[in-house]
Amino acid sequence: MEEKNASRRRFILGGGAAGLLAGLAGATATGTSAAPPAKPADAPELPKVVERESQLLRMQRELQRALAKPVNERRWAMVIDLRKCVGCSACTVACKSENRLPPGVVYRPVLEEELGKYPNVTRRFTPRPCMQCDNPPCVPVCPVGATFKRADGIVEVNYEQCIGCRYCITACPYGARTFDFGELYTANTPAVQSYELAPSFEYGKQWPRQNDTSPIGNVRKCQFCLHRIAEGMLPACVSTCIGNATYFGDLGDTTALVSSLVGQSNQMRLKEDLGTSPRVFYLL
Amino acid sequence: MIDHLLHGGPRYWAWLAFLCVVIAIGFGCYYYQLDYGLGVTGMSRDVSWGFYIAQFTFLVGVAASGVMVVLPYYLHHYKMFGKITIMGEFLAVAAVTMCVLFVVVDLGQPSRVLNVLLYPTLNSVMFYDIIVLSGYLLINIVVGWTMLTAESNELPPPAWVKPLIYISIPWAISIHTVTAFLYSGLPGRDYWLTAIMAPRFLASAFASGPALLILIALILRRVTSFDPGLPALRKIGTIVTYAMIVNIFFVLMEFFTGFYSQAPGHMASLQYLFFGLDGYGRLVPFMWLAAVLGIGAVIALLFQRVKQDERLFALALGAIFVATWIDKGLGLIVGGFTPNPLGDITEYAPTLPELGVTLGVYGIGFLVLTVLYKITVGVREAQLSPETAQQAATAEQASPEQLVAEAAH
Repeated sequence: MEEKNASRRRFILGGGAAGLLAGLAGATATGTSAAPPAKPADAPELPKVVERESQLLRMQRELQRALAKPVNERRWAMVIDLRKCVGCSACTVACKSENRLPPGVVYRPVLEEELGKYPNVTRRFTPRPCMQCDNPPCVPVCPVGATFKRADGIVEVNYEQCIGCRYCITACPYGARTFDFGELYTANTPAVQSYELAPSFEYGKQWPRQNDTSPIGNVRKCQFCLHRIAEGMLPACVSTCIGNATYFGDLGDTTALVSSLVGQSNQMRLKEDLGTSPRVFYLL
Repeated sequence: MIDHLLHGGPRYWAWLAFLCVVIAIGFGCYYYQLDYGLGVTGMSRDVSWGFYIAQFTFLVGVAASGVMVVLPYYLHHYKMFGKITIMGEFLAVAAVTMCVLFVVVDLGQPSRVLNVLLYPTLNSVMFYDIIVLSGYLLINIVVGWTMLTAESNELPPPAWVKPLIYISIPWAISIHTVTAFLYSGLPGRDYWLTAIMAPRFLASAFASGPALLILIALILRRVTSFDPGLPALRKIGTIVTYAMIVNIFFVLMEFFTGFYSQAPGHMASLQYLFFGLDGYGRLVPFMWLAAVLGIGAVIALLFQRVKQDERLFALALGAIFVATWIDKGLGLIVGGFTPNPLGDITEYAPTLPELGVTLGVYGIGFLVLTVLYKITVGVREAQLSPETAQQAATAEQASPEQLVAEAAH
């Protein structure tokens, strides 16, 4: 079933990519499009189309290039451009459905702040995934070694080893970890809906929602959609973002889009003073 | 020695029956929690530790307090405490038992609790806490039981037990220090990120634990022939007073650092607990009650008259026990989570099933305590003359009402 599902996803993504290519009508870097139709002689000279590769396609290409490297040479990172975020929460929703998250478990909320005073008021939206810190406070506190930093920088939870003591939640200064209390959206309705019991694919395994089995009773967190990355796909929040405000890629690749963004002066990270060294960067 | 458990008056059996009912309620609630998940508790995304871990933290203090009678007796040969040291050790046994149970009922996957031993993690403070707590439990069982056996056989205790007693003294300090480190080493929790956390824990432990020990001794004095002697209890009362003064002093230091520096992170939790923050202030009345009880009791205990009057003495000690319980068993944990690291407030209140499980654990603790104390009292009564023993047997009945009031704390 897992196999089948993954290939279905690959098909859908492939179709999506083909559609995008067609939409760009010859402006793609791949140069495989058909020749433009013949121009009438009296047509005015149009301004030249600026050739630009779709950000998503570039990031996906870079992601696949990174996958070809050994895992310890990949340095996954996320960049979020706060100027482009409109606070639509599409990333939150995409994440919830991608990871099949129950009530109370949110990996990537969008924090909202109101700044200024009327009439000069504005709102700031800050999507907050797991920071995948290089010095994560949540990892050393685990009494059973169930959470650890992978070679590629992602902080993982071993659902089968986690005892659910929630010490890591207490230790995280970003509130990025949540406990799965075993709740269902349709719990107190006439029928529990089957889509709620469907398995999530976190860490490349199937986790059906059955009584008391993991990840119920475990601590859960954003893992940059590791299961999607493994299939060459961008994290769900990145491909969903309507404003192209979220970037993802390999900091180990100096030519990658994220590498160039991280090198800008308007870059900052949350609570850097705590020495956590996050892998999520914000552009102001 | 165990046969002493089988001889008791109707009130002894009634007390045991009452404890069994409480434990049964606790088991019922725990079964419900196992079936439904931790969602039956009041814990949430923001307040991910609640009543259970708070009780654990408080009871580690009660357990550590045994050292306050052991140390004067064994290191300073303070003979007055001779009769009560075993009581202190057995109180520690009951308290650590409850600590372990509170951690287990708090787990999301309790069936995997042995992972702690299967995957020992040397960089986790919780790992060390488990080590020191189980070690302390073992030491107190062995020491308490060996001393009692020796007493029962009217023989001097074996020589090997002495070093164990000496080890138990720093060990008691260690259990509460390591428990404080669980909290004070986390970068994102300003309320706990304070170097004074371990000293503060010890001060409040040395107030709350001995206060409970005196209260239990006062009850035992009334309902059994066992009497550690009022002067000894008053002396422990002095220890309680000093410890509580130090505890209050430490709390005031936290206030100074937070409010003089005006650093928002260091003020926020204190504001929430004592004055309310952003319109949330569920714990405010409790915290002020603790402040009034704690300060009032300390002032009262400075007067000799209060210490001489058994009732006033008990009242003041009860006030200190309640004050330290509110401070640590309620405010400390919830305060650390409120506001959350991102500045939002989610208020916490325990649910009925959560309180049921908590009561059940306390029931088990008091059952352990009753069993151990019954044997101790039995051993001591057997050494009295037959006539006195006879009288004692009729008088030896714990008053359920008094002990319930105790348990309710």
